[in-house]
Amino acid sequence: MTTIETNRSGLVGQSVKRVEDVRLLQGAGTYVGDVESVGTVHAAFVRSPLAHATIRSIDVDAARRAPGVVAVITGAEMAELTLPFVPLVTMPKLYTPLFHCLSADKVRHVGDPVAIVIAESRHLAEDAIELVEVDYDELDPIATMGDALRSETAQVWDKADGNVLYDRDWTFGDVDAVFADADRVITERFVSHRQTNQPMETRGIIAGPGDDGRLEVRLATQSPQLARWAIAALASKRQVGASAKDFVTNKERRANFLAAAKQFLADSKEALQAQDSDGMKSQVAKDKAHLRVMAQAGLGLLGAEDFPHVIVDDVGGGFGAKGAFGREELAVAAASIELGRTVKWVEDRVEDLMDGGQAREETLTLSVAVDHDGTFRGLRFHLDLDQGAYPGFPFGGALTAGIMKVMAPGSYRWDAYAMSARCIATNKGKVVPYRGPWANETWARERIVDIVARELGMTPEAVRLKNMIGDDLPADAMVSGPTIDETMSTKGTLRRAIELLDLPTFREEQQRARAAGRYLGVGIASYHEAAPGPPGFIDHVEPGTSALAAELGSAAILPDGSVELYTSQMPHGQSHETTYGQIIADELGVPMSQVRVVYGDTDRSPFSLVGTGGSRGGPIGGGVAKYSSRQLREQVVEHAAKMLEADTADIEIIDGNVHVAGVPSRGITFADVAESVIAERGAVEVKGNDAAFGADQAYAGKGDGGWSVATHACIVDVDLDTGKVSFPRYLVVEDCGPIINPAIVDGQVRGGVAQGIGAVLYEKVAYDEDANLNSATYMDYLIPTSMEIPHIEIHHLETHSPGGENDFRGVGEGGMIGAPAAVTNAIEDALAPFGARITEQHLSPTRILELARII
Amino acid sequence: MTDIEQPHSPMATTGSSVAGGTTPGPTDDASRLAAERAAGGSIIEVSFSVNGTHHAHTVEARRTLSDVIRHECGLTGTHIGCEHGVCGACTVLVDGAPSRSCLMFATQATGAEITTSEGLSGPDGTPHPIQQAMMDAHGFQCAFCAPGFLMSTLALLEDDPDPSEEAIREELSGNICRCTGYQSIVEGVQRAVDVRRTPTGASGSSALGTSARTSGSAS
Repeated sequence: MTTIETNRSGLVGQSVKRVEDVRLLQGAGTYVGDVESVGTVHAAFVRSPLAHATIRSIDVDAARRAPGVVAVITGAEMAELTLPFVPLVTMPKLYTPLFHCLSADKVRHVGDPVAIVIAESRHLAEDAIELVEVDYDELDPIATMGDALRSETAQVWDKADGNVLYDRDWTFGDVDAVFADADRVITERFVSHRQTNQPMETRGIIAGPGDDGRLEVRLATQSPQLARWAIAALASKRQVGASAKDFVTNKERRANFLAAAKQFLADSKEALQAQDSDGMKSQVAKDKAHLRVMAQAGLGLLGAEDFPHVIVDDVGGGFGAKGAFGREELAVAAASIELGRTVKWVEDRVEDLMDGGQAREETLTLSVAVDHDGTFRGLRFHLDLDQGAYPGFPFGGALTAGIMKVMAPGSYRWDAYAMSARCIATNKGKVVPYRGPWANETWARERIVDIVARELGMTPEAVRLKNMIGDDLPADAMVSGPTIDETMSTKGTLRRAIELLDLPTFREEQQRARAAGRYLGVGIASYHEAAPGPPGFIDHVEPGTSALAAELGSAAILPDGSVELYTSQMPHGQSHETTYGQIIADELGVPMSQVRVVYGDTDRSPFSLVGTGGSRGGPIGGGVAKYSSRQLREQVVEHAAKMLEADTADIEIIDGNVHVAGVPSRGITFADVAESVIAERGAVEVKGNDAAFGADQAYAGKGDGGWSVATHACIVDVDLDTGKVSFPRYLVVEDCGPIINPAIVDGQVRGGVAQGIGAVLYEKVAYDEDANLNSATYMDYLIPTSMEIPHIEIHHLETHSPGGENDFRGVGEGGMIGAPAAVTNAIEDALAPFGARITEQHLSPTRILELARII
Repeated sequence: MTDIEQPHSPMATTGSSVAGGTTPGPTDDASRLAAERAAGGSIIEVSFSVNGTHHAHTVEARRTLSDVIRHECGLTGTHIGCEHGVCGACTVLVDGAPSRSCLMFATQATGAEITTSEGLSGPDGTPHPIQQAMMDAHGFQCAFCAPGFLMSTLALLEDDPDPSEEAIREELSGNICRCTGYQSIVEGVQRAVDVRRTPTGASGSSALGTSARTSGSAS
């Protein structure tokens, strides 16, 4: 009935070649490090060599006199220029310390920045660092969560109660009764090690006066608007104080104030309401300065003459790390404002390994109440999360704990569930979201499912099949709250994986291999993830945070007939230009070459705190692309119908030709339609950026489902001479609904698996007992290469949401969620003859040999 | 030792007046090099050919080859990933041999023929068969590592025009990609090999060798 489908060009669903590659593979990309202009000066940071110390004094005189040095700004001086980072997300029972971009009184991890040196070259800035004398009084270092909990005296944050910054529990159902009633309770404690995101491009920022008088900022980020707002709010301390009089007398500024206030209040409505909650109260109870800083930051936003103009071109990966706005980035922006000069900082790899973003150092204690026949009854789940010293901004460990709370029950049916979580401060690098930040719930749960199976004398696949929600075990909601529908098709992926593995044949092969001294093992792990999840999913994580979920966008048709989408997504490897181009071309019936995807320019792309993150690019950003272009199509069709003297229902658009169905030879182009509508409007002069048609679109997902699911399965071959683990087979059966571009989906899945394999077998952020960093180079932090990552076979199911016409689901994070569990399960299976029970996630060759009782 | 008067920094006076007296002035090559001299550093001339074009620059002696390629030659297609020779993003060909440009001083390349990823495409912008194969295979995602992989692949296929998958994986293990899990990159190399075998590839070009654009100038 609807005309919507008549113009489909069928690009969605095809592995269309990437639009981005023409630029990126021919050396024509623009990453932040590539940007430089005459007059650019270079920043380097003086960083603490100690994990925990008070600063007695800092002497920068010699550094200031050093050749080529333009400025040295200490922590105390920077505190005059900037406000402390103030939490954007508050939660009940969470204390988020206020902290400055440079430390003035105390350092809290190795690499903590205490001064910024700006010089005519990076070399000269680094030379001058050597001349800065900092006198430290060493404090007891807190290297582990154990230290943090034991310590009587040492405290990372003075205003906290000890080192526990978040302590929370939730209960769903009568957990005590269920545990008392079940046949058995099986408990295990799992330890996951610290990892780091490590995009190949480190962080970087260049900030300076723009041609229009605003601060112009380019940086490697997943969220340009976050950077813009953070700089506007936090780098403006002096500006506000100095401008109070101007503010009253300057008409233009007053107008800006009102416009900015309106925007701020509109954009932050829900966030502001959330601030009024228990979260705000627990924050203020710890530190009353919170209110003052919030007010100052608000005044900074409202009083600013104009916000910075943030421009982001190409970004070399992020995996969550660049969703954070960093202390160094604020320091560079503030220094640029202060000096009136263009300042550039590109993080080096050692800095990135030190504090570019770390993750996943967690202990997880799970108790499963289970009946003898393998029926899951109840789950108790306790998380201790090592959040390092400085909370990630804007998303810290507490949000990760909240998502884990919702997702930990997995795709299984439970009678009751209880979760408790603590976030614990230590003297280590900051923790940021890392690709599926909550993924350890899947690792620990899928690990204990195998352990339960072994305890009960069942196979892991039998226990999974028995308890997994599906056609034979229906449920309409997770025990933790969110609704589920057929898109939670985890059981379908599990069944398909079991079929593909051909387990009977494998078990025979395994027996033969063991007899020959070769140790093979098979591991399976299943999960579903909220990508995007049902509407309101984020409210199950924490009520009031759904403001983060909505996405705004717009689209326009320009006078030349070309189509532009303005997205708040910030691509950094995900190929948005290609996939959105496919969606828009299909919706409008135009070739992809007629479509441009505009992103990364805060003057053009709409507000979003998150930018690209949370596997939202396909489902949410894709929805904005779809529905905004659908609006455009209606406008084009309506006007073309008048031009062609036809009924709108008879208008067809194929390959950019707008015509009456059946008579393509009498068709007109988008440019013809645009020209006509602009002429009708009576425009005297048409500029290239005057839109003929425009559409605004807000979108937050629809339907009850929106789950992305997968089962990972792998076969490992463990070499007991060397402890090396290889993968004769790794397969993923995934279901992200209709696929926009299969090659891109497969790439996302494989990349996630590679990071998961790396996490288990190679990568570990290592601190010694004094919290000194022992993994500050790629010789120590081992990222797997093409020799270590196997061929990964991917199988797709495509379950559609009931009635969901925008049914894309995200796949950016899933690979990393499934892999650690599948790999550790397979290794435990391989080492079963030695009675190995794997409770840690990092399995170095040495550890493998220990588990096999060889060393 | 110092041959220029070192201006006092606006931050140099007292901590309480960090704002006062800022005097913005352009930092150009001359003032940067003067400061380098004042710091006791040597300034040298380096000259080499990049993608067939002669380059001569006056730079700090401690400037790496990667810095000079990126900032003096303006060829930012070569990327810096780790600056300690592990990630391979900065790989360029120096006289045909893949080299970590972040671990070389620019002066060490004096007189050399250097090929960077910008030198792969034809003069009309036609992608090199390796680039085309990588595009066809969806080889990369963020592509920050791509220039290094492209140059390593170029060198690999010069040495071994028909490598096995194992050989490809081993040769490319000097380059780190964080996005893809490598499979698509390996497939890209295999496609490039296929293009060479049947020179009817989409790009119409069959030359895979380093000769594409560098052969014009004699070494």
